[in-house]
Amino acid sequence: MHELYKLNNKTIYDKNTTILYTSTFNYIEDAIFFINNHCVVITKERDDYLPIVKNEYYELFDELELKNKQDLTEIDKLKIKILSSLSSENKIYVFFNVLTYLPNKFKTKLVNYIKSQNKIIINYTTDIEETLLLEYLIVFHNEKIIMEGKKEYVLQEEKILKKLGFNLPSIVELSIGLKYYGLVNKIYFNSKELVDSLWK
Amino acid sequence: MEVAKIIENREINKIYGLIGNINLTTNNKNIGIITSGKFKGSVKEYLNSPKTLSSLKMVLLNESVLSKTANECSICELKKISLAKALIENKKYLVFNFFEKELNYKEMNYFKRLWNRLINDYQKTIIIFTNDLTNFLDILYEIIIVDKYQVINTILKKQYFSILKDTNESPIQEIINIIKAKGKNIEDYIEVNDLLKAIYRLKEQEK
Repeated sequence: MHELYKLNNKTIYDKNTTILYTSTFNYIEDAIFFINNHCVVITKERDDYLPIVKNEYYELFDELELKNKQDLTEIDKLKIKILSSLSSENKIYVFFNVLTYLPNKFKTKLVNYIKSQNKIIINYTTDIEETLLLEYLIVFHNEKIIMEGKKEYVLQEEKILKKLGFNLPSIVELSIGLKYYGLVNKIYFNSKELVDSLWK
Repeated sequence: MEVAKIIENREINKIYGLIGNINLTTNNKNIGIITSGKFKGSVKEYLNSPKTLSSLKMVLLNESVLSKTANECSICELKKISLAKALIENKKYLVFNFFEKELNYKEMNYFKRLWNRLINDYQKTIIIFTNDLTNFLDILYEIIIVDKYQVINTILKKQYFSILKDTNESPIQEIINIIKAKGKNIEDYIEVNDLLKAIYRLKEQEK
């Protein structure tokens, strides 16, 4: 694993990384940094213009309806912004708490697509469930890294996460309970794997 | 879509869930839409009221934000300041536009308690507009489904999972649906603990 950037005391590696932050954090400086370092940066800030999306991306994401839609909503515009960015040659995609606004189906497809292109995703989020999407996890509070590591390890630090105001992801919380009752023998991070272990 | 049209003829002093791919607008003075929209000047200048500090306290902020400009605030702070402004202006209807998206679960629980206080003690009517109402089902009175032009349905919260299949499936619901797909007879639950007990019961029955 190589160090990619050192940003406001956060070390960003060449790995798909979630930055789980507490709600007072203002990420504008980080966003500017990434823009200046040739990353694709997606925020929820409104743009004055509507970017162009290649037809193949509308088709790939089952969003052909968006192509000629009038009266676009904020979520529609966000989808268009993201779809248009997929033609970029930049290697790193940085999302600043935007994935949480998207329908799950679109979100999963997007993450899988970017990964399949061998590009890196850095996802800033306050949503603990989104930490399951990517492999590495940095927990950030009051301008400091509180924990970092593989998500499988960090997400088992229940006490620290709760102290920061985060719950555990539902699948992890459920796994811990099922493990306690002897119904599974490890913590799961994927719903299908958990259910398959209960009923083969 | 004009919010006044959505809440027309609805009971007041209730908490409603609102689902639909729409933009919310209003020209009605009694309605406050709580967003992360930016304002001019400092927070102090924007709120500009003797009630500023008490309103900030109500939304989990304090005097430390008073000198900040909108660009210096986090999105979460902007949303909370928008709510403080609506409280100062004594809006009767408070519409929360994807408000919970920047909150952690501790803050979310606080705001759920605050909303209950606002409807009971301050005679407000609350509308929660978001893409996943699972976390709010325990406090909702009804769920309103809208499209671009009109209200297309109003449902009871117990119908949420069966009617709104196309909305965002919560992580717990995702697990429940996988269990159902295995032919197991399991109900819909909101809380992890309830799901845990249900799985335990199922496994016990299979012994």
